[in-house]
Amino acid sequence: MTAKKRQRLIFFGGVFLAAAAAVALTLFALRGSITYFYTPSELAALNEKPTSAIRLGGLVADGSVDYAGNATGDVVAFTVTDGGADIRVTYAGLLPDLFREGQGVVVQGRLKDGGVIADNVLAKHDENYMPREVAEALKEQGVWQEDAGQ
Amino acid sequence: MPQNSLYDFANPLRFESIARRVFPFVAGAAVILTAMGVYFALFNSPADYQQGESVRIMYVHVPAAWMALFCYSSMAIASAAGFIWKHPLADVAAKETAPIGAAFTLLALFTGSLWGKPMWGAWWAWDARLTSVLVLFFMYLGYMALWRAIADKARAARLAAILAIVGFVNVPVIKFSVDWWNSLHQPASILRPDGPTIHAAMLTPLFLMIAAYMAIYVALLVASMLNELISRRIARTELAGGAQPATMVEQ
Amino acid sequence: MSGFLAIIARDVTLAFRAGGGALQALSFFALTIILFALAIGPDLSLMSEIAAPVLWAAALLATLISLEQIYRPDREDGSLDMLVETSDILALTAFAKAAAHWITTGLLLTAATPVLALLLNIKGAALGPLLATLLIGTPGLSLIGAFAAALTAALPRAGLLIAIIVIPLYAPILIFGVGAAGAGAAGEPQYGANLALLGASSLFAAVFSPLASAAALRFNLD
Repeated sequence: MTAKKRQRLIFFGGVFLAAAAAVALTLFALRGSITYFYTPSELAALNEKPTSAIRLGGLVADGSVDYAGNATGDVVAFTVTDGGADIRVTYAGLLPDLFREGQGVVVQGRLKDGGVIADNVLAKHDENYMPREVAEALKEQGVWQEDAGQ
Repeated sequence: MPQNSLYDFANPLRFESIARRVFPFVAGAAVILTAMGVYFALFNSPADYQQGESVRIMYVHVPAAWMALFCYSSMAIASAAGFIWKHPLADVAAKETAPIGAAFTLLALFTGSLWGKPMWGAWWAWDARLTSVLVLFFMYLGYMALWRAIADKARAARLAAILAIVGFVNVPVIKFSVDWWNSLHQPASILRPDGPTIHAAMLTPLFLMIAAYMAIYVALLVASMLNELISRRIARTELAGGAQPATMVEQ
Repeated sequence: MSGFLAIIARDVTLAFRAGGGALQALSFFALTIILFALAIGPDLSLMSEIAAPVLWAAALLATLISLEQIYRPDREDGSLDMLVETSDILALTAFAKAAAHWITTGLLLTAATPVLALLLNIKGAALGPLLATLLIGTPGLSLIGAFAAALTAALPRAGLLIAIIVIPLYAPILIFGVGAAGAGAAGEPQYGANLALLGASSLFAAVFSPLASAAALRFNLD
């Protein structure tokens, strides 16, 4: 009987320990960065740059979009920034509707010579929804917060 | 066995008579709310400052995504209730919620895809939110497949309940996926600590559509639960070899 | 405790006997990898880039096809009834069954990976992280799979149903496993976080799977 009791104690102790360890590991992992995409700062901090395809997320820097990449103008170059670091991206293809300066983007591509050659550019939408007139009114009143996109 | 089935029938019969009376009102509410919601969503709400007219997809997509999670949560709660109290109605409610929830999940995935193409520039992306919702859809399918595979309804209910409860771990993962990982999908706009970030003029159609979807869910659930209860009674009547059990039980 | 070890010893012995599942799972694992290697063709850099995902998917599939073997033979020869009735803690018995399955699939596949990795042109630096992820992740595959096997223990042909139930539940292990293997190979900082989430997934499986399996087995026997 005591052997049985001890077995039960060990079993439920084990269950509890495993659950606690699982929660602890999850919390540890969520404090670190596990990401759908890199930010420019994270990428700059890497000692060894990834050679495989990556995703890069950030804001399109104001005034950085350059459509004169080649004669026909179908190559576009722009700078992705997160405030801490900048990375130049070149992309040949159609940009999504929401792509504009100051807006968030996620770029899929490969690192080359310190920049990114993009295979695909996705616009990231923020969680704010409002009519155009309201957005303009907010801008006029000066309460507009320019942190949209992240 | 006869005693047992008498006990089983007691509640479902009361449920049947109530459900028959309630159904027309719920179905009517679903029609009216959907009509109002669609009117506001398409004609009486502003275009977004960034997205333009495409924002109207939100009024179909967001309520569907909410219902996908709501249905799974309801299914897990009903499963737990059926598991603990062995209440046949809870089992039937869980069983009949699954296909409705799967349909809402599919609707959320499809409308999300239609919204993603013009806005993000991609029909699909393997980010945490999209992936976990796709997993949710297949969990509904697995749950339904398990029900269908087991002939004995009582055993199927117990086993499917265990699966539904285990699968519930996915629900908080879906809800918080946009906060835990930096994903392509935008964070929550309504259920957030500092209040909604959607303008009031856009909240009206959104809430109308959420209410409409909820009414659709309740109407479909009541109808399919009635259907299931009646078909079970027919099956038992046939097993008993006559028409008397149904009337006997009502006394 | 001796009963726990006895179940593991019995299942492992049975799995390696003629007709047992262990060598079938291992052969399936190797053949899947060979199929991929043949299909990819001569692009060696592409092959080493997708080697870890391919190995992970192959390990997942090899685990999947052997899941039916956990409870069905016991159910057929009646020993499952005895196991359930004589177990003091049924969850512990279920845990032993899952552990035995892992030894005969996950552990075996991990042990065979260094050789099969050569076929997929895996670089030396990538092999260590890959083995680490397989060692941490495959117990989770066996535990979750054993739960699905317990759910369907009473069904005569449950293979496809087990797959439908289990594959969505496998998603996090596959994502974190491949993520950690890739990050580890590239020396990226996400290695630790991915590995921790992979470990957490396996531990969560270790908590819920024995308890849920025990409940499922009880309802499958009356």
